[in-house]
Amino acid sequence: MLRIDADRARFREIVRGRIRSDLKRYLSTGELIGRSGDHSVSIPLPQIELPHFVFGSNDEGAGEGQGEAGEGGETKARAQGAGQAGEDPGLHILEVEVEFDDLAAMLGEALALPKIEPRGHKTMEADSGRYSGLRVHGPESLRHFRRSYKNALKRTIASGQWDPARPRVVPEREDLRFRNKKSVRKPDSSAVVIHMMDVSGSMGREQKEIVRIQAFWIDTWLRSQYRNLEVVYVVHDAVAKVVDQHTFFHLRESGGTKISSAYELCLKLVRERYRPEDWNIYPFHYSDGDNWSARDTESCVSLLRDELLPRVNQFCYGQVKSAHGSGQFKKDLDAALPVADKLVTAAVGEKGEIPDSIKAFLGRGR
Amino acid sequence: MHLKRSLPAALKYEAVRVEEAARKAGLDGYEVEFELLPPDALNAVAAYGGFPVRYPSWRFGMEYERLEKGHRWGLSRIYELVVNNDPAYAYLVSSNSRLEQKLVMAHVFGHADFFKHNVWFAPTDRRMLDTLASDATKVRRAIDRVGQERVERFIDRVLSIETLIDPYLPLREMRGGANAQSSERAVQLPTYDLLGFLCERAPLEPFEREVLGCLRREAYYFAPQRMTKVMNEGWASYWHSRLLTGGLLEPAEIVDFADCHSSATVCAPGRLNPYKLGIECWRAAEARGLDLFALRRVHNDVTFLDELVDDAFLERELASCGGARLLPPREGPPDYAGGKARLLQELSWGGLPQIGLVAVGAEGEGELLLAHRHDGRDLQLAQARETLKALAAVWGGPVHLMTIENGQGRRLVATAGEVKTLETRDALRACA
Repeated sequence: MLRIDADRARFREIVRGRIRSDLKRYLSTGELIGRSGDHSVSIPLPQIELPHFVFGSNDEGAGEGQGEAGEGGETKARAQGAGQAGEDPGLHILEVEVEFDDLAAMLGEALALPKIEPRGHKTMEADSGRYSGLRVHGPESLRHFRRSYKNALKRTIASGQWDPARPRVVPEREDLRFRNKKSVRKPDSSAVVIHMMDVSGSMGREQKEIVRIQAFWIDTWLRSQYRNLEVVYVVHDAVAKVVDQHTFFHLRESGGTKISSAYELCLKLVRERYRPEDWNIYPFHYSDGDNWSARDTESCVSLLRDELLPRVNQFCYGQVKSAHGSGQFKKDLDAALPVADKLVTAAVGEKGEIPDSIKAFLGRGR
Repeated sequence: MHLKRSLPAALKYEAVRVEEAARKAGLDGYEVEFELLPPDALNAVAAYGGFPVRYPSWRFGMEYERLEKGHRWGLSRIYELVVNNDPAYAYLVSSNSRLEQKLVMAHVFGHADFFKHNVWFAPTDRRMLDTLASDATKVRRAIDRVGQERVERFIDRVLSIETLIDPYLPLREMRGGANAQSSERAVQLPTYDLLGFLCERAPLEPFEREVLGCLRREAYYFAPQRMTKVMNEGWASYWHSRLLTGGLLEPAEIVDFADCHSSATVCAPGRLNPYKLGIECWRAAEARGLDLFALRRVHNDVTFLDELVDDAFLERELASCGGARLLPPREGPPDYAGGKARLLQELSWGGLPQIGLVAVGAEGEGELLLAHRHDGRDLQLAQARETLKALAAVWGGPVHLMTIENGQGRRLVATAGEVKTLETRDALRACA
């Protein structure tokens, strides 16, 4: 191991709070998801700043207001930072604007996620990519001003027309450079994510927040792996229905919980709209682990074993801890289907455990 | 001429050419040992401040992570990295273009000359590469004896107070024949060399005393770089510009050079750019017909700017160097005298608050009394309290600090666990 890797590992351990809790006061709390704005997200970089004697104002609330306000407005992490800054002098968040693809790459790297091997027959290679190259022809909208100007400037000087007193540069056709898409080979295949959530009374705001964050990262990762990703949202209490994204995260019902209703609807979707021959299928189900009856749990198990698991890439069950939930359903699933390698179950107690459950869900590369 | 061992032939050729031009122009630095590294390896070396071996610390890991992320997402990259040592060590990034490599080399020869001839660098250790490697071994041995956690905790505390040194001390002692690093002298009060005082008088465990000695050495080694940042960067920029445009550039490279040079000297608004401020000062000196080599020998940033900055300079350059805020608009003619005073103040004492040890035992048995020499700028008190706690923990007893907040006298009293802030009139006198 390189020397720097040892130091970096030590730093990460401190950031995670495993060692040296005395440094926690000087640590900026970096959250995995800051904000999913308009195709860019800020990634806070955790920093520990040891206190020093420095000059500074002592006005109330004047903290380390580092960095300009981003275009997308305040992020969650920064908003927290500003609030604490008064008593927390070491706070310092360096924020980085990142593209979605980069974000997925970082996620993949941070959690050591394997690349998914798509199945189905629609795995043709297709071009897609980013504008990172240059070429001499192109539309005006892709003109690279700096490079074009530099060429024009060079030509002007070389041809003896440069006049320092009147520094005028007139670009000609041959000076212009345009941004060019660099090809990246990507499997041309389709995938569908079916997010199912228990919205019965016991799932509170905090539980839904966890589901929301988790769903965001799962979608981000899968979107980086598949050219065409569809997302379907299903909510259920005693009955299940397909809803839009907003409803999914905000609906709150009270009734009882029949999980089989969601699994039946999921099966119906798979049979009618997302046939396994054409689609990679990823159902995710989130609940607090309470089901109506043991009978219903049994029918869930047989639905999974006989119908769903053979058809999907992977079925993930995430159990969110809540004040009222018993957490029984995960135990039942694990007991009934111990060897089903397409079934992944994970328990999430608090936000800090989200990365671990994401890794459990996506770590198998299916 | 030195062998540039590790460089590929094309770059070796450029290095020899640039070095020849530098010598002809009058630069006389240490030999420069260039090393070519891929960006990620350079980030690792840069995290250690250019030294291949340092003691283990999460701090370097954090720095590496910052550099590495910045590089990977295209937000920042390191152009040059040079170490004050004999021979000087300099790193070239393999992903740079040939023109950029030439520019960096010329820049490095400027620094190497400055390190060798500027008087403030005279007392620095020219075998620092070896010294730091052997200090790292000492720290590792301490870790083996008492465990990483205890050593690291102590290092972190000392790092909090590492600025409490007297940057003028090494030169004074060199002139007086003594050596700043030797432990055979007695610290006289009052002193700014708090680290020296602690080395000598604090009731430390053997491993703590050893680690403190290592960190104090580093603090004194790096201090001149803080005191001469503007001059040094300006000197190197002045020479890379002069050498490259004086015959080292191919005609086809001129425009790219201008692009590259201006991106290094461009200013983020509101922040002084030492490259830009420095190079403009050297050009002003040249325009006045002064002896540049004599100037670079005797000055530090404060005396250098005091010598060269006049009203015309402020009017012409201050805004472009990122110092517009130092000259706020007002009715009538601009306040040049005030602007210059603020500029010098910002650079004085390495840009840090001046805090010294005044008395031992006056406030109570085994209690230290420190005073902040107040020049109109308040301390950031929340941080000061934390720092004072770190100091009290190292000293092993209560520590008092006199300072001023909004014109009111303050006395901070710290033990390792807690800090009290008291109001006091005495501070106004103590901080004058």
